[in-house]
Amino acid sequence: MRDSPDIMPETPSERALAEENRRLRRICHALMERVESGGAANGAPYAAFEHAVLLAEQVRERTEALHRTLDELGQANSQLHEAKADAEAANLSKTKFLAAVTHDLLQPLNAARLFASALEEHRLPQDSALLVGHIGRSLKDVEALLGTLVDMSRLDAGILKADIAPFQINGLLDALAEEYRQVAGVRGLTLHYVPSSVVVSSDFTLLARVIRNFLSNAVRYTEQGHLLLGCRRRPDGLDIMVGDTGPGIPELQQEAIFLEFRRAQPNHESHSRGLGLGLAIVDRISTILDHSVLLKSLPGRGALFSIKVPYGQLTKRSSELTVEAAQVGQGPLQGAVVWVIDDDPAILEGMQALLRGWGCRVRTAASLSALEAASDGEEPAVLLVDYHLGDAGEDGVALALRLRRCYPALPVVVITANHDAELKRYARELDMNCLLKPLKPLRLRMLLTSLLEERAT
Amino acid sequence: MNNRFFAECGYFASTSFLRQELLLDISAVTSAATTPVRTAASRRQDPECAAEELAKALKHEELGFVLFFCSAEYPLEALGRALESAFATVKVSGCTTAGEITPQGYDRGCVVAIGFDRRYFAVDYALVEDLARFDLLRAQRLVDQLLENCRARSLASINEHSFALTLLDGLSSSEEQVLATLDAALGRIPSFGGSAGDDNRLAHTHVYAQGHFYARAAVVIMINTPLPFEVFSTHHLLPLEHKLVVTQADRESRRVLELNAMPAADAYAQMVDVPKAALGPQVFARHPVAVKLGDQHYIRSIQRVNEDVSLSFYCAVENGIVLTAMRPAPLLHDLHHMLDSLHQRLGTPSLVIGCDCFLRRLELEGLGELGQASQLFKRSRVVGFNTYGEQHHGMHVNQTFTGVAFGSLAR
Repeated sequence: MRDSPDIMPETPSERALAEENRRLRRICHALMERVESGGAANGAPYAAFEHAVLLAEQVRERTEALHRTLDELGQANSQLHEAKADAEAANLSKTKFLAAVTHDLLQPLNAARLFASALEEHRLPQDSALLVGHIGRSLKDVEALLGTLVDMSRLDAGILKADIAPFQINGLLDALAEEYRQVAGVRGLTLHYVPSSVVVSSDFTLLARVIRNFLSNAVRYTEQGHLLLGCRRRPDGLDIMVGDTGPGIPELQQEAIFLEFRRAQPNHESHSRGLGLGLAIVDRISTILDHSVLLKSLPGRGALFSIKVPYGQLTKRSSELTVEAAQVGQGPLQGAVVWVIDDDPAILEGMQALLRGWGCRVRTAASLSALEAASDGEEPAVLLVDYHLGDAGEDGVALALRLRRCYPALPVVVITANHDAELKRYARELDMNCLLKPLKPLRLRMLLTSLLEERAT
Repeated sequence: MNNRFFAECGYFASTSFLRQELLLDISAVTSAATTPVRTAASRRQDPECAAEELAKALKHEELGFVLFFCSAEYPLEALGRALESAFATVKVSGCTTAGEITPQGYDRGCVVAIGFDRRYFAVDYALVEDLARFDLLRAQRLVDQLLENCRARSLASINEHSFALTLLDGLSSSEEQVLATLDAALGRIPSFGGSAGDDNRLAHTHVYAQGHFYARAAVVIMINTPLPFEVFSTHHLLPLEHKLVVTQADRESRRVLELNAMPAADAYAQMVDVPKAALGPQVFARHPVAVKLGDQHYIRSIQRVNEDVSLSFYCAVENGIVLTAMRPAPLLHDLHHMLDSLHQRLGTPSLVIGCDCFLRRLELEGLGELGQASQLFKRSRVVGFNTYGEQHHGMHVNQTFTGVAFGSLAR
């Protein structure tokens, strides 16, 4: 012991002080020892406990910090959710509004197109015929623009769904080539078309829309030279390509042109009637169809757009719609009895004029009973029926089914502004055909011709 | 003998609780008979009869695991064999106690068990026989194996929905190292548990696994469940001014020889103002000491006074540590508050597994509040045992109520 050696405690209080002094030294010593060991994890059990407490404390602190962060994130997140919901609601109401407006516009436009078409069939003085032609083309442009808007709103609303079926690609491309050869000719361009009879699996209408948009762009932006429409077989699908010798697209813009309302060269006013939605639609459709779209371009040399479509296997029925373009002239339409049911008198009148012009015998009415009363027991060769027959009662398909009870296997064409693939599929299952509004006279004529020919054989 | 037996399914508990809750519970039972846990207790002294009674109450087609706590007074080998044969293929694990918490509250000399429905719980366990050589490598392997087996059942995601329950021999003096090692291997998976007891005889405590009771061993039980759960720990003790410094300790035997350079028992008796001869568990329970780490006080419970006037502890001690005198706040109040907050977060618990320090029980007995505490336990469906120490997130703690509470699946 290193107790103070100099002073020997004598009195009891001195002894007590000396004892306390001794104990304090011991306590001091123990504490120093402990402090100097620094709680080092020397494998001692108590050190393990201290270590565990330290860890638990750290975990607790971190958990608290994490909870705070999570709370903040949660708040930010819920704000974002609200903002997103607002934006979505606004977008939805915009889409609904657009769909409603375009739908309402399509009805009278449809009628106007039918009247104009019917008027063209009349024998007119040459300058009048020219004017009628202009009216027809202007209406067609309006219709195209409206169609684009409808498509865009439907694509955005997710209404448009792919209706995939196999078909021969020339059934689509031949008609487009023919159409755009003339369009290109007007602008002093030539169109090279390389036909192909490969069978692909896709949505006929949507794919047509894509290629049509490629071709329209090519025509719009190419000042001189030629356009190309053709296919190339690849191991993973058929590349359908549209090339031009236009100004091309700088690499920096190659992504941007697929966005809405963008045009490669906005100063290119002279002949741009488009809204700049063409490629945005291509982009959305290719996503829906799961077909990849490729753009190759050298500025100053031209551009090559292509879409890759998977190969398909032709079944028996699927070639029917891709009929050879109907020849205009004397044909099965001559004298054919066509019944038309629509709740819009203007449409009925337009249809009557158009179909009469093609030599059909037309019966029109707003309802089946009215039609049957007016028919004098004459058997219909084909029925054209509007899908949406007013707010009350049955739809066009149900009406057609009812009529088929009297006339089994009656060819039916359902006309609808509803782009739903479900309706198309349903109609196809019932062996009915669908045409979309606005009704294209050429397309109606092709379809009627093929239906009546089929019935004759 | 019927009144000496009570076995009931957790959901049938007849409580004086809100009528509305009772109705809900009944609908839960009638709707699909899919109570995720059942609990039962038997007071039969004959091991065969006790095991049979438990099996009768708990067994059903989807019984996946049985956890039990039994009095150390049972003939353990016989009870082990009886349980093994009564539950046949179902895995069973458990430990001896210093008192049981049955569905009716505190009890002694009986066996209480919990049956886990395999549709709600993926459970696996492992026995650690050699505690001294339980190193990180072994711990990692053990944890990996347990998690793997739980994951194979694919009931719920492992990281968010699992916890480990540890049962340790309470007299092995190796809790701290085993826990620190295990906790490192468990990573983010929460853990809790209790040290087995032996009805205050301080002779032999046992854990049960694979059909046998083992001393100087531990059981690690991994539980994975889609039910919401919360691991908790609470105590009711507050710090006083007085401090004692450990000036001489024997860390191997957890003995403190000197406090403030005085014989340990003398220093302690002087501080708490109790004659040295009167020192015993009741006094230790009422006058605990704690170490302060950071802002928290951790109780270090005294086990007994030795003949050499040293004090044995239930936990690791070391030279130079500073012990703070503590005083108890009302225990029932703290317990009530704790259980209430569980109700608030989880709804009425479908089960609480509680590791309750036997010193708390002693304190309640001394205060004559054992019955009230039992009511609180019953209301919150607490089942568990009185321990010689609790484990919480890798820490060996004393004089706490530590456990896990299960909520119900959202309907």
